[in-house]
Amino acid sequence: MASFIIRRIGQSAVLLFIMSLLVFVGMYMVSDPVAVLAGDDFTAADREALARSLGLDRPLPLQYLAFLGNVLTGDFGQSYVYNRPVLDLIFERLPATLEMVCLAMVLGVAIGIPLGIWSGLNRRHPATRAVSFATTVGYSIPNFWQALLLILVFSVWLRWLPASGRGDTVPLLGAGWSFLTIDGLRHMLLPAANLAVAIVCMQTRLTRSGTEEVMFQDYMMFARSKGIPRWRLVNRHLLRNILIPIVTITGLELGALIAFSTVTETVFSWPGIGKLLLDSIYRSDRPVVVAYMILITVMFVAINLVVDILYALLDPRIRYS
Amino acid sequence: MNRSGTLALLIAASTLASPAAAETLRMAYATAPISVDPYPYSDSQTAGLGEHIFETLVALDNKPLLATQWQWESPTAAVVKLRDGVKFSNGMPFGARDVVFSMCRMMHPVNGKPNVLTSSLGPVRNVVAVDDHTVRFETTAPYPILFQKLKFLKILSAQANGVTADIAYDGQGDCGIAASYPAQADFDSGKAAIGTGPYLLQQFQATGDATLVPNAGYWGAKAEWDQVEIRSVANNGARIAGLLAGDYDVIEKPGAEDIAVIERDDQFATSSTPGLQTIFIVLDISADGAPGVTAANGAAPLADPRVRWALSMAIDRDAIVGRLFQGNATAANQFAPSYMDGAPEMPPLPYDADAAKKLLAEAGFADGFSMELSVPNDRYLNGTVVAQALAQYWTRLGVRVSLKTEPWSVFLTRRGDGELGAFMYGWGHPQGAAQLISGAFAQKDADLGLGSANMSNYADPDFEAAIRAWAVETDDAKADALIATAMARAVEDMPGIPLYYNHEVWGHRADLAVTGNADGRTMAGMVHRK
Repeated sequence: MASFIIRRIGQSAVLLFIMSLLVFVGMYMVSDPVAVLAGDDFTAADREALARSLGLDRPLPLQYLAFLGNVLTGDFGQSYVYNRPVLDLIFERLPATLEMVCLAMVLGVAIGIPLGIWSGLNRRHPATRAVSFATTVGYSIPNFWQALLLILVFSVWLRWLPASGRGDTVPLLGAGWSFLTIDGLRHMLLPAANLAVAIVCMQTRLTRSGTEEVMFQDYMMFARSKGIPRWRLVNRHLLRNILIPIVTITGLELGALIAFSTVTETVFSWPGIGKLLLDSIYRSDRPVVVAYMILITVMFVAINLVVDILYALLDPRIRYS
Repeated sequence: MNRSGTLALLIAASTLASPAAAETLRMAYATAPISVDPYPYSDSQTAGLGEHIFETLVALDNKPLLATQWQWESPTAAVVKLRDGVKFSNGMPFGARDVVFSMCRMMHPVNGKPNVLTSSLGPVRNVVAVDDHTVRFETTAPYPILFQKLKFLKILSAQANGVTADIAYDGQGDCGIAASYPAQADFDSGKAAIGTGPYLLQQFQATGDATLVPNAGYWGAKAEWDQVEIRSVANNGARIAGLLAGDYDVIEKPGAEDIAVIERDDQFATSSTPGLQTIFIVLDISADGAPGVTAANGAAPLADPRVRWALSMAIDRDAIVGRLFQGNATAANQFAPSYMDGAPEMPPLPYDADAAKKLLAEAGFADGFSMELSVPNDRYLNGTVVAQALAQYWTRLGVRVSLKTEPWSVFLTRRGDGELGAFMYGWGHPQGAAQLISGAFAQKDADLGLGSANMSNYADPDFEAAIRAWAVETDDAKADALIATAMARAVEDMPGIPLYYNHEVWGHRADLAVTGNADGRTMAGMVHRK
């Protein structure tokens, strides 16, 4: 196991290097920060001074090498727009995204897996058809459209929940958190529900098809004929066997939601990192975009590593050597 | 007394108390303010937040604010008299030294980066505190738009930042006091957010959320709200929903199609005011052709003024204003809002599709030509929709338009690289009627501050003469006459095509009256209870 982890970290370093190069060159080609930051009344001399102060007057390879050198000392640079270290900007906004995604994930798994197992066990029940239809629809409706529907129903018509913003926060570990206040939770519910819909649908369908497949395996027949109670059959024999694909998808979804819940964050004005990424791309704030993508890559690598370790714990047949 | 009895009493007490309870105004901006620091940023939301706290010498509408009088003593020296009896929010008196201090801080690079606003005050050579309430600005050359530029100079307190001696101004903003300047973080934390404005900063978060409370010692009309919350909701639909859901009292910049949605509900209303922004199409009129513009005969169509006039005459501006903006825009007849101070009287620009076709044929393009039109898709209200309408009008004329809509950052980069032959642009600063033509159509001249954004390659001797004379004319009446000459010339030659002037719109609770600002900034001071 240890050698597997070490090898994985080595591969990740190469991946990170390639990733940083791609994003750096990509941002360089797409837009010129000086063109975006300069005012209309900037003279040519003003523009040159701005480029010089940002280090953008040097050729691209030199800019990249300087960036790489700084990153190795832990310095991801300063935001062109906010004039602050980019890591501060990202970590300030990370808690908002994390708590929203975690709530969405909990909702998604807590609803999706039981619903999937139940539908798998009761294939002919009319409610199963309804679930199947609902999950197809839920998965097909675009995310931003769902978000607007949620706002329309729960904020504008029923006036139960606020449509945007983060509500009251409580400081903990140097950051503000919404999940510790009632007002904060009320603000979080709609964006989390917006993210959770897709997770519920995905988890339900995945669990149902797994259940249907496993229930007809010989060992399940055997266990049933032995007279093992149904709850034990589900918990012990069914769940463990269908969990591998579910864990994989959950891990990937978790990463994708943390990194790219941009649409939800924008519609609900949830001040998370997805919104920061979008704003930074529009403002040509290259240091933020590059640092963001590197951190996200690190996160995906870490999540995949955890998923692989979970495999081994769930299924004793899997060994890494 | 049992518990429910206590509760009932408490509720009754709180109901009784509510008329006197704090009244909070909740406003939703369209983008988040970046910082409380008044200097490095020029975007409307950052400036809007800042202007609750800091004031300028001259108000947007050219009325006195912290200055009571200003005039040119000589062509290169302007004297400004300051208002008496004004105090900063920490109780310190406002005086001439604060103006010098603020000029120094404005010219000083933030984190080594030149300030976005600095270049506009480059010609200022010296700023002298003549006495406690008189400041003299000395310029290297006549610089008549100085008072317009002073609308960007937000006043900080010298004393609050530890400067109590006279300051020797220099153009680099060092002034021998650079060590005393508050950092951006000091403004955001509230420590340095000390101004003369009607509100005080209670809290600013890195996400742009801000809470303001009244400045008890304010010299002008007292603040009407006990607390002001500024939030930002970037998505149009969500901003409207926030208003309809009761999360906000006032929202800025509803989309044109959302205005009807707000108006339909009795509880809500919209208010609008003619704005400062002129939307126009810039044409590259170089004799050797423009990028993306090609004709079968190899000629340069945009170099011929008849072609430019044909393009203009093919556009039904009233239809654009009426249908696409529901009247929340004004059809343009020149390169500055026609209702702006100092804008000359001009006839409306004609719409005549047949005459346009004839004109195009006369110019030798009876078969039309091909043209790329670039438009930022995330910048101007309705920008892409208007561009589609233009493409249709011009297609009818026989011009084959290929429409390119791009994000602002990409658009600006391509514009900077000279890749755009025809593009949409908006220009809106509170700096007088000649601002657009002096920047977009004059020949580049860094000393006179002309032509910094001349992408049309327009060079007309009569226009040049008028605009260069205007740039150094400190007599208002003479300056206005020069603007009229230059403007008439620019419209005649049409190096760009004026389209319309944007109106600024707010959605709000029906029981509020919103007066609005021409610069589109959303301020607590413009919201009143009916």
